[in-house]
This record gives sequence, C-alpha cells and structure tokens, in this order.
Amino acid sequence: MPGLLQWLDEFAGPTLFEFAVSPTLKILALLFLFVLPLISYIVLAERKILGYIQARVGPNRVGPWGLLQPIADVVKLLLKEDVIPVRAVRWAFVLAPCLVVAPAFVIFSVIPFGPPSTGEGAPNWFITDVNTGLLLVIALATIGVYGLIIGGWASNNKFSLMGGLRSAAQMISYEVPQGFSVVVPILLAGTLSLVGIVQAQEGHQLFGLLPRWFVFHPTGIFAFFVYMVAGIAESNRNPFDLPEAETELVAGFHTEYSGMRFALFFLGEYANMIVVSAIAVTLFFGGWLPPFDFLGMAFLPMGLGGVLWFVTKLFAFLFVYIWFRGTFPRYRFDQLMDLGWKWLIPMALILVVLTALLKLLFPS
Amino acid sequence: MSDAIRSANDTVANNTVAHDDSVFGAEEMELNFGPQHPSTHGVLRLKLKVDGERIVDCYPIIGYLHRGTEKLFELNPFFQNVPHTDRMDYVAAATNNLAYVGAVEKLIGLTVPPRASYIRVLLCELQRISSHLLWLATHAIDIGAMTPFFYCFRERELVLDLFEQYCGARLTLNCMRPGGQPFDLPHGWVDTCREFLELFPAKIDEYENLLTNNRIWKKRTIGIGVLSPEVAVEYGITGPMLRASGIDFDLRKAMPYEIYDQVDFEVPLAENGDTYDRYLVRMEEMRQATRILEQCLDQLPEGALMAKKARVLKAPKGGEVYHGIEGPKGEIGFYIVGDGKPIPHRCHVRAPSFINLQSLPELVSNHMIADLVAIIGTTDIVLGEVDR
Amino acid sequence: MSAVKRFLDRIMLLDLFTGLGVTAKNMFKKKHTVQYPEERWEPADRFRGMFRLDEDRCIKCTLCARDCPIDIIYIDWHSEKNEVTGKKQKLLTRFDIDVQRCMFCGLCEEACPTEPKSIWLTSKSYELASYDRWSNLYVDMDDLMDWKIRPDYTDEEIR
Repeated sequence: MPGLLQWLDEFAGPTLFEFAVSPTLKILALLFLFVLPLISYIVLAERKILGYIQARVGPNRVGPWGLLQPIADVVKLLLKEDVIPVRAVRWAFVLAPCLVVAPAFVIFSVIPFGPPSTGEGAPNWFITDVNTGLLLVIALATIGVYGLIIGGWASNNKFSLMGGLRSAAQMISYEVPQGFSVVVPILLAGTLSLVGIVQAQEGHQLFGLLPRWFVFHPTGIFAFFVYMVAGIAESNRNPFDLPEAETELVAGFHTEYSGMRFALFFLGEYANMIVVSAIAVTLFFGGWLPPFDFLGMAFLPMGLGGVLWFVTKLFAFLFVYIWFRGTFPRYRFDQLMDLGWKWLIPMALILVVLTALLKLLFPS
Repeated sequence: MSDAIRSANDTVANNTVAHDDSVFGAEEMELNFGPQHPSTHGVLRLKLKVDGERIVDCYPIIGYLHRGTEKLFELNPFFQNVPHTDRMDYVAAATNNLAYVGAVEKLIGLTVPPRASYIRVLLCELQRISSHLLWLATHAIDIGAMTPFFYCFRERELVLDLFEQYCGARLTLNCMRPGGQPFDLPHGWVDTCREFLELFPAKIDEYENLLTNNRIWKKRTIGIGVLSPEVAVEYGITGPMLRASGIDFDLRKAMPYEIYDQVDFEVPLAENGDTYDRYLVRMEEMRQATRILEQCLDQLPEGALMAKKARVLKAPKGGEVYHGIEGPKGEIGFYIVGDGKPIPHRCHVRAPSFINLQSLPELVSNHMIADLVAIIGTTDIVLGEVDR
Repeated sequence: MSAVKRFLDRIMLLDLFTGLGVTAKNMFKKKHTVQYPEERWEPADRFRGMFRLDEDRCIKCTLCARDCPIDIIYIDWHSEKNEVTGKKQKLLTRFDIDVQRCMFCGLCEEACPTEPKSIWLTSKSYELASYDRWSNLYVDMDDLMDWKIRPDYTDEEIR
C-alpha cells in the first residue's frame, strides 16, 4: 500500500496535475461558468423566439422580460418528485440520463472558443488541443445515443421503447453522413486538430472579397449542408425530433422521467445542440476568425475579439435551430432513413472524392 | 373491398410474423393509444396491434365522453334542447343548432323569415371557417408543425369575437331558436364581419405558404390514408372527406336549405382521397365560405326575425322528420319523432364525426404510427359528437 | 421545362425557404396575447356572463326556472302585507342559482316577461374561478343582487 502511494507520487507528481486535475478544474469551470448558463438561457431564448414567431410574447412573468425564468425552471425541476416506475430497471433508468449528459459536456473540452495564446497573459481559449480532436468529438457524440436507448428500454413503457428504438436507428444512420461530411474540412485543412482546422481557414480568396472559410469552398458548402442536416438529426431537433415526437409517442424516450432526471435529458439535448453548432462554426465558418480583418476587434485584450466572433456565430446557428423548430413539420421515421441513406450518404461520399480530386489537381 | 384489404393485411402480417418467429422469436406488440394521448383529439382510445412501427390492426373504443344527449332531448321542450346541441360538436355549435332547429321547424311546419335565414347562413359559414381553422391547427401540430396552430387560433379568435358580438357566447352559442333568430345583428356587426373577410384570404395564403408546398408536409400527407370513393360511400362518409375522394356531394348544393340556392359558390373536389387532398379541400372550403359570407352580407334583407308561432311548440302526433345539413365535418342530421306533446318523443343524431370515424381502422392499416396521428387529424373528429 | 423547374425547386429548397420567410415575417408583427391581470379583455355588450337579479322588477312568475334546460334555478316566494300601502304583495323567500352546473345559455333571460328584464346575464363579469364550489358557486339572492359579485383579481385585497 505505501509502495503504491509512492509509485503514484513518483509517476504522477506534476503529470497528475497537468493531465488530470487541471483539465478537470477547467472543464468544471467551463461547465458552470459558460455551458450551463448558456443552456438555460438558450431554453429561455427558444421559448421567447418561438413565442415571437407564433404571435405571442413568451415567458415574461419571472423577472424583467422573464430573464429569471431559467432559475425558476431549475428550482421547479429540482423540487419535483423523482418518480421511478415500479417495473423499471432501476440501475439502467438512473444511468441513462448521465450517459446522455456526460459525453456532451466532455466534448466542450476540445472546442476552441477562441485563438490560442497570443502572448504573455493571454490564455489559450480552449481546454486542450488534441491532435485527433475531431475523432474524439465524433466518438463521444456516439456514446450519447446509448443513454436514449437505455432510457427508453429501462422505463418499461411501450412509447418509451419506441422512442429509444427510433433514436437508435436515427443516430446510427446519421452518424455515417456526418462522419463523411467532416472528412471534407479535414482534407482541406490537412489536420484533425480543431485548432489546426480553424488556423487553416485564415486568409482571403477572390481578391480578398471572401474569407477562406471552408463553407465558401465549392465542395465545402455542400459538406456543410450535409453536416448540418445530419447534425440536426443527431441532436434530435425539429424536423427530425422523432425520438420524442410528442404528438406520436407522448414524449418518446423520456415519457417516464421526471424531475432532475428529465432535466438531465433536457440538458443533454441542448448541450448536443451547442456542440453541433460549435463544431459547424469551427469546421466551416472559421471558428474565432472574423470575416474581415478590420472587424477583428484586435483592440480587445487577450484575444477576446476572437471569442466574441465565435460566440456570435454560435448564436446564429442556435437561432437557426429555433427558427427551424418554429417552421417545419416532422419527418416520418422511414422517410428520415430514406433521406439519410439515399441522399446524404451518397452525397457525402461524392463530396469526399471530389474534394480529394480538387486537392490533387490544385494543391495550393 | 374492406374484406379484401383486411385479408391482404393478414397475409402480410402473417408472413412477417412467421418469418420473424423463425429467426428472432419476435411477435406483434399491443399498444394502447389513448384515451389520454396528446393527439387523439379528445378521449378516443385505440387498441393497436403494431409490428415495429407498422400498424397491423386498429380497434377504436369510444364512449369516454358519453353524456346521453339523445335521451336528454326527450326530457325537454323543443327550444330548451338547443343548448344541448351546442355541446355535441363543441367546435361547430352553430351548425348543430341549425340542424336541430331546422328539423323542429320541418316537424312543426314553421317558415323562417328571410332575414333570419340569412343570419343563420352567416353564422354557419363563420362556424365552418372556425371549425376548419381548429382542424388545421390540430392537424398541423399532429404532423409536427407547431406554428400554424397559433396562427389559426389568432384568426379563429376574430370569428369567435363575431359570435360573441352576435349572441354573447364564443363557443357554445345557443344562437338559434325553432322558428327564427332570437336577436338581430348588433350595430356594427356587418362592418366587423367585412373587415374580417378582407383580412382572412391573406391569412389562408400564409398557412398555405407554410404548409402546402413544404416537402416535409407533402411527404407526410400524400398517399397517406387513401380513401377510395367506393369505400367512402360504403361507410356513409360525408363532408370534406367524401369530396376529397372525388364524389361531388354537398348538401348545400344537393338539397339546398335556408338560402344556399341564392348564393354562388363552388364545391371543392379532389381526386386521390389522401390526407393531402383532404387538406386542400378544406383549405378551399374556407375560401368558398368567405365568398358565401360576402354575398350574404351584400344581400342581407330587412324584416322580421321570428316566424309566427305558439308560445309552446307542439309536435303533431305521429310526425317523423329527418333534416340534415352540411356541417363543417359532414352531414349532421336530426331525426325527430313527435307524439303530440311539446317534447320530442325520440331524437336521433346523425353525427358526421361518428360515421367518419368508422373508416379509421381501414385507413390506418399498414401505415406507421406517425401516419396514424395524421389520419386521426384529417378525419376531423370531435369526441363530443362521436359519443354524444 | 417544368421538369427542370421542378428539379431546380427541389434542389434549391424554395418551399422550405418560403415557410421560413413566413415565420420570420411574423416575428416582427404585432403580438396578439393579452397580459391578463394587467390588461383585461373587455367582453362584447351581449356577452353572457354572471347573473344579476333585480328583486323589485321581478314579478315572481318563475318562468325563468321553468325554462332552464337543466333546472338549476330555485325560487320560493311568499305573500306579505306591505306596511306602507297595505296591499298584499309577493316577496322572494329564495332565489338560488347553482352556477356550477349552469351552461350560460341565456334562456332564463329570454323567458323573463318584465321589461327591462329582472334577471340578466350581460354583466360582463367572467372571472368565476373560485376555491370552493359549494360556497362560491352556489349563489343566493343577495349574491345575485350585489353588482360586484366576483372579486377582480387585480384588487388590492386579493393581492
């Protein structure tokens, strides 16, 4: 026993701090200072924007313009009775929400919210820059679906089960086109690191009229389209919100969940939304890069201008998510499969080949 | 026809089951859909047999909203039954009122003055618009489009305001009496109505922009729940559902009541009888209702509102009468038997929702669960009328 | 040609953008909701709301009770000598309405033979929610004659 401790001390020492404690602290700080407030206010923004779309005003009772509504919601969900159905499989029922939330939060550790350190005092605006960052993102995003399947199965409710089945099929078939569509920016940038991909988008094209973001690349724009459709489907949002289609399956996989467990599913969904948007911004819209250099807000200290640009782009994507929800009907299950397998996957495959050809023919 | 479809289903189902059994040991699942389900439009309960998401068999169970309305009619004098008819199809009270008072007038032999007739048609067409708006709202939200719900309710509110100005109620109107109309149009009502009619066609365009050409909407509705004309006639289906299957039968044209023979309008028809066609027919019906309303407002005569009648209406002994009108959901009719007393001896309601609902098992067989809610929405049932 | 156009429409997602346009336009239009306790909806003149009774006009004919489709109006009256005029006159002992079952059809008002009506529903009060149905929704004569039968929820004492 003392030997083990000694070994740990020798082996870990500063390494332990560098590889375990520091990232954990950073992730927690990011989570509580940025992601959770962001999610709760996105929920509010969604209700507000949907309200404005639908000729009403949305929540406006709690605090000025309803700004304290998220807090009221959280308090309500925390105080609610936590019901576990008698015939539910207890351990799986408890595990499922965690499985949805945890991977979605971990992904935030590799997303570059801003530029790397530019000099003394300026921090790296990301927790870590893994050289296989994109692979990590895709791998972690895949784990989330287990939560939905397990939750749907463990609830012992037929509607939940069908929701779980739907989400399983949907996520599996949409991960394929999503995976192929991100190959295009990887090919263009020549790296898997998310920071590297953003740095590869620096500069301008077309006599300085257009930034060299990958979305303005002839194949990149279609790759972006495929990525976005697959991403919306991945995060179970309208028009692909089949696993929880409330008019068909009551509430889908989380029919039996209540209180904080339900809130965790909810958090997971919105975290996924943010992750998909953030990755889209990073891969196709030049991450923290401003569209033109004079808009860069270089006067802000510590590279904050870049962070501001990243957040602006992120919000634009989140707004589009909400806008879609306010406009479109829902696809049917088999039509969704149709779209994924017959349109998106061939399209993504062709795009990969085309991009590779372009890269071969015009190496610059 | 129906047997053929059902046996075809059985073979399909049996094949799948046999195949699955040998490999996975899978079997069909029984799913209880409703009475408390967000999209059964009330308290409809369906016992479904599903193979994955595909519906193999559907068995509707009704009666959760049964209030014995037909028996209630036998207890009250004729005019006291009008408020009870409001509560059958509670989203289309005016047409219920008209069907009932029309039957009573036919039984007793009363002639309604022309102005009262015009007011009745005005109310009925407004009611058609409001009922169709509610149908569109719920149908769209069943298919997943949330926003049309609020837009439809926004315009429906204007119709309800018109009702409120006329008779003081918004939903359960009680706005007609045997023999005529209880009150005249209030001051300024015609102008308010005209304002609404000017504004409304643009709003229909708005809904259509949201839905009609939308590829997701088309995918979810075209070819879903096809009702062939033969089957529609066999089941006795009426209203927009029948006309979407291509059969030109509208009581307003076929047997004009009130003043429908004096206004000019078209009966929208479609060919395929699927959910999309029923949607188109109802949208066009709203436009035609606007046309009828405009003509009625132009032609509105002055004059008495109530026919000369006794204070206590007595039905002739042995009198039997059936009077059907074209409600928003189909033919709503009352069959009344009199026996010389001031109360009906027997009263039966031909409720369009109830009869249209009969076709549901046939419509949904071999569709997915997502189609089931679309089809329930498109049959436009109101459970208050189904169960009475 | 139309096939080309259809194909282009399909590729360009024009149908979806039309829908997005409708929702975007509506985002900036007037909102139609009423902020209830502060703003309040004013009913039309003929609105059938809570009952009012005027005992002086009432001739105790009980026609309203007889015409009620669900028999929820209960009337008892007795004769009494008027001390001023010395004539016998009818007085109400009881005039109760069981509002929890009332469907506000207005037939009682229509049946009333007095001019102006002695029972009427056009009081424009619609806030009938209460915590106790037996004490609050079974109204007697005094309640019916009191003009302000229901509290406004914006009143200070309710807050």
